[in-house]
Amino acid sequence: MTSSPTEPKISTAGLRKVYETRRGAVPAIDGLDFRAAAGEFVSIVGPSGCGKSTFLYILGGFVEASAGEATVDGVPIAGPDPARGIVFQEFVLFPWRTVVGNVAYGLAERGVPRRERAARARRYVDLMKLGGFEKHYPKELSGGMKQRVALARSLIMEPDVLLMDEPFAAVDAQTRLGLQQELLAIWERLRTTVVFVTHSVDEALYLSDRVYVLSSRPARVQEVLEVDLPRPRDPEAILGLPAYRELHRRVGSLLRAPH
Amino acid sequence: MRRTDALPALTVALALGLWEVAPRAGWVREESVPPFSDVCGEVVDVLGQPAFLGALGDSAARWAVGLALALLIGLPLGTLMGRSRTLHALIDPLLVAGYPVPKAALILLFVLWWGAGEAARVAIVVVGCLIPIVISSYHGAHAVPPALLWSARGLGTGRLPTWWRVILPAALPQILSGLRIAIAIAIFTVLASELLIRGSGVGAYLFTALDNGQTLTVFALSTIVAAIGFLVDLAYVAVVRRGLPWLEGEV
Repeated sequence: MTSSPTEPKISTAGLRKVYETRRGAVPAIDGLDFRAAAGEFVSIVGPSGCGKSTFLYILGGFVEASAGEATVDGVPIAGPDPARGIVFQEFVLFPWRTVVGNVAYGLAERGVPRRERAARARRYVDLMKLGGFEKHYPKELSGGMKQRVALARSLIMEPDVLLMDEPFAAVDAQTRLGLQQELLAIWERLRTTVVFVTHSVDEALYLSDRVYVLSSRPARVQEVLEVDLPRPRDPEAILGLPAYRELHRRVGSLLRAPH
Repeated sequence: MRRTDALPALTVALALGLWEVAPRAGWVREESVPPFSDVCGEVVDVLGQPAFLGALGDSAARWAVGLALALLIGLPLGTLMGRSRTLHALIDPLLVAGYPVPKAALILLFVLWWGAGEAARVAIVVVGCLIPIVISSYHGAHAVPPALLWSARGLGTGRLPTWWRVILPAALPQILSGLRIAIAIAIFTVLASELLIRGSGVGAYLFTALDNGQTLTVFALSTIVAAIGFLVDLAYVAVVRRGLPWLEGEV
């Protein structure tokens, strides 16, 4: 699938999501305009519970928008699609499947023959440094390892969009840094369009080309910032760059501002 | 080995020792409580009688058929209830009302409807096992995390196949816990039904021994039934552990 330069990979316009509850309608997203170009790494930051995850679920096709439009390659999102991979915050693996069983799941669903499935699973097991754990079950893995499996399970489908919902929020700081670096290395190779939801300003700035800063619930776009830092980025070195410090200050003040 | 590891064995040894000593020392009458060693001898005797083995086979068949029917009805029903708020709202009142009803009290109703035959005996097993199976299937299916379903859907699993690709396996740990309870209930209800509808089975055999005043045989039969219950549970847990190495926590 190719998109013309004028047409973004992902686009939403006037997107709204209202939850009907017993106490009436609760708006979660209120007119969200978003675009991501093909191959772009875009982060979404916002206060906790602002509706940024809901936005990602709409892009995934898991949740239906109440109004507005959401398209991929100009086509309205009508449901889940293996072309849009997703990684969740909680370690969502199939507990009854081994590491290889999890990684190869989507290929089996697609009807890829067993032998080819195994060969391709091996490639992604190696890519995510899971060698030696092929036969392990999720309960035997650490949080960081589980997220590697989840990432491999999505990447094996060769998605052209990767949706990530605070994927590294539940691992320790050391593991998080390693996973961030690996994600960047893979992204620089595959150039998958990434939409990355996080509440960490540092994480968003280290990883992204652009950062969408959302308001508190109901979510609206407060500001979109270009992260004009050279790649490949060194997570330590960028902390000293004036441009980084300025961006960090700006995002921080937006998130703290009453709105 | 920790110091507490030996304590359970100590308790069992003390209990069996008391069972042996109390009648022999005359603390209780031997006709009421025969000594443990005598009961053991009688157990061996009973196990060698073809009539008993036939009765055991009859009971085992009722147990298996009743349990299988309860599973066949309860598993789909509970799982569907877990995924459909409407179905849950419709069926749940029956479960709530049925839960405290002593199932053994229904036996005579079943006899009234179907006569004192196999149907009534198996029906009581089904009714007894149904609730734990339905409830555990319901909870298992209800608790499937949305993100797990979405992961499968996002990897190409259609809406209908998620039933057997995701919901059933995700609910399995809870279903197996419910089945463990149902297995024990089934043993109890088979016996109860055979004590009330006599004719065949271990329960009837037990009652005949009681009628004939064979205290020792009554004790031996009760011991056998207790041992079977214990061993079946032990075997069940072992099979589940071995068959499903991915399970977390208790069965």
